[in-house]
Amino acid sequence: MENTTSPLFTVSDFIALTNQTLEYAYPSVQIEGEVASFKINQDKYVFFDLKDDNGSIGCFMTVWQLRQPIENGMKIVVTATPKLTQWGKFSLTVRALRPSGEGSLKKSFELLKAKLDKEGLFSPERKRPLPAVPEHIAVISSVQAAGYADFIKIVNDRWGGLRIDVAHVQVQGTDAPDQIIRALKYFNEQEDLPQVVVVIRGGGSADDLAAFNDELLVREIAASRIPTLVGVGHEVDESLADMAADVRAATPSNAAQIVVPDRQEIIRSVRYRVQSVLPRTTQAIETKRLELQGMLEHALASIERQMQQADEQVLHVRQVLAQLDPNVVLKRGYALIRGEQKVGSSIEIETHRAIIGAKVERYDEK
Amino acid sequence: MTKNKNSTIQEKIAALEELVAWFDSDEFTLEIALDKFKDAEKLASEIETDLSQLKNDIEVVKQKFDQA
Repeated sequence: MENTTSPLFTVSDFIALTNQTLEYAYPSVQIEGEVASFKINQDKYVFFDLKDDNGSIGCFMTVWQLRQPIENGMKIVVTATPKLTQWGKFSLTVRALRPSGEGSLKKSFELLKAKLDKEGLFSPERKRPLPAVPEHIAVISSVQAAGYADFIKIVNDRWGGLRIDVAHVQVQGTDAPDQIIRALKYFNEQEDLPQVVVVIRGGGSADDLAAFNDELLVREIAASRIPTLVGVGHEVDESLADMAADVRAATPSNAAQIVVPDRQEIIRSVRYRVQSVLPRTTQAIETKRLELQGMLEHALASIERQMQQADEQVLHVRQVLAQLDPNVVLKRGYALIRGEQKVGSSIEIETHRAIIGAKVERYDEK
Repeated sequence: MTKNKNSTIQEKIAALEELVAWFDSDEFTLEIALDKFKDAEKLASEIETDLSQLKNDIEVVKQKFDQA
């Protein structure tokens, strides 16, 4: 017997009701599975099946929602809404997806890396230098994260007088890439542009760090007007955001070391610079001392020379004087006559040996 | 303002560099070297004090990024 209490629907109404029921029961579901029959139609629409060993569901999304490349065989997690199409086919309308498991993450990473590398996003020629001593920087991170605390501590230890604007965002999970993109846009639209924008996140699993391999985020970093410094994860972690940045830091702590100089190093350098002038000054003093010593020696030599000349002159005069000494003449046999030289005068004759009194008996002019 | 303090340090470092460069220049004379050295020492001391005292100004922006 027919059940008169059962409602009667048109096909369209039943599809609409089913979708309402599905939306109510499962407004958003996350489903993990393996990609099969992946294809893109008209460069706009993405279709693939999500399957496991015992089942398969058709999936649909738009190309712009596909933020990380996928291919057949990859394990992924989709965030989707279940839907019954107007042709009665059950499918998932995918809003977001992410590779799941190490192999898929690596595969997706390599696919996007190859694509962006081909476009030149990682090219060394695109890299801009960071200011040596910035005065205003922007930081994009979660202020609750340990990586952020490390960064701020090291920056404060190393440098001061810096204006740091911080954008608090999620740094992992589905929403992280869009939040970081918005923060990047926010800083790039400021009238007073920061000189550097630093994107940091501490260590985590490959899945935690997957946000930094999001295609739109990587493109936004590459397109930033402000030079970028990205420090994500640990030393060994590599993200596409790192590669697109102007400067890559191995960790948030390393980012702090890169973005500001070390005040202690500058103090040491300043001290060294001041001390470095001492050898030049000492050398100048030594040169001057040698110059003065030379001048002194020259003066002394000149005085000695003049004294020697004076001695020689005195000696010569003494020799001349010695020749003129009357005694010397007397010794040679001459005599000295004193008194009036005329006949009958008494005179005195001095020889070398005696003084003789005598009278002049004759006087003839020569 | 913070920016000015930081700029002043940069200016002082530049002035110190200039002073130090004088010692290697042709203008060097022993007569004024001592005064220049005293100036350099004073400047270095000021730079050290300034650098040690400077603090950063950290501000979390009010803008929310969790919604488009």
